[in-house]
Amino acid sequence: MSEKNNRIPFDENNYTHNIHRNNERKLDRRGFMKTLVGAAGVFAVSSLPWGAVAAKELMGLSEKEYPHKKIADLNKIGIGEAVDFKFPGEHDDALLIRLSEEKFVAYNSACTHLQCPVFWVKEEGEMICPCHHGKFDVESGSPVAGPPRRPLPTIEVKVENGAVYAVRVKRYES
Amino acid sequence: MNRRLVNFISLLICLFLNIVFTQKMVHQFKFENYDVAIMYCVLNLILFPIALFVFKRDEKQSEVNRREQ
Repeated sequence: MSEKNNRIPFDENNYTHNIHRNNERKLDRRGFMKTLVGAAGVFAVSSLPWGAVAAKELMGLSEKEYPHKKIADLNKIGIGEAVDFKFPGEHDDALLIRLSEEKFVAYNSACTHLQCPVFWVKEEGEMICPCHHGKFDVESGSPVAGPPRRPLPTIEVKVENGAVYAVRVKRYES
Repeated sequence: MNRRLVNFISLLICLFLNIVFTQKMVHQFKFENYDVAIMYCVLNLILFPIALFVFKRDEKQSEVNRREQ
């Protein structure tokens, strides 16, 4: 054995020639338990961001005021018509619907199921997601049919100087 | 029952609970029940020291067993 250890058998670079014992590389009980503990650690670490974001939401840090944004002039929107706009960011599609002379509702138009754009069907008086036929109530934004289970985020709007402005995104109650 | 088996099975249960809590946490987060999501997150965090404790205890017991033999 000692003679074998002192000898350099061949030029190699992967250092696996010194594995001789039977099943040396097989996972034993202790090694497997170590893996289990490691997996528990991975679970613990990976659940941290969820907890952190949830805590942030609870403390209301994400409830911020966005700069008011003009959506459209009052005389451009007929009753029962809808206007697409972006709010609060450039890539957040939103939908403004004029229900009556005075009443405006606006929602983030990404479906709460798989983020497809929801559109307004005037004849049926419903907001419909084309992907899986989810339907939303126009008054409250809550889902009435199809796969979505959560309401669309409401955007508060304000009528000022003959135009409609988006004020902020309302947090919706679960 | 064999002590080694008890340790092993309790580790398996820890991991199983980890999976369950993670699933619940993500769901409750999506449902916006943030306090419940935080609760599951804390449970997940607590499970790791428990698993580590079980592993260390197993190590210690097998050491004792080896000396007795």
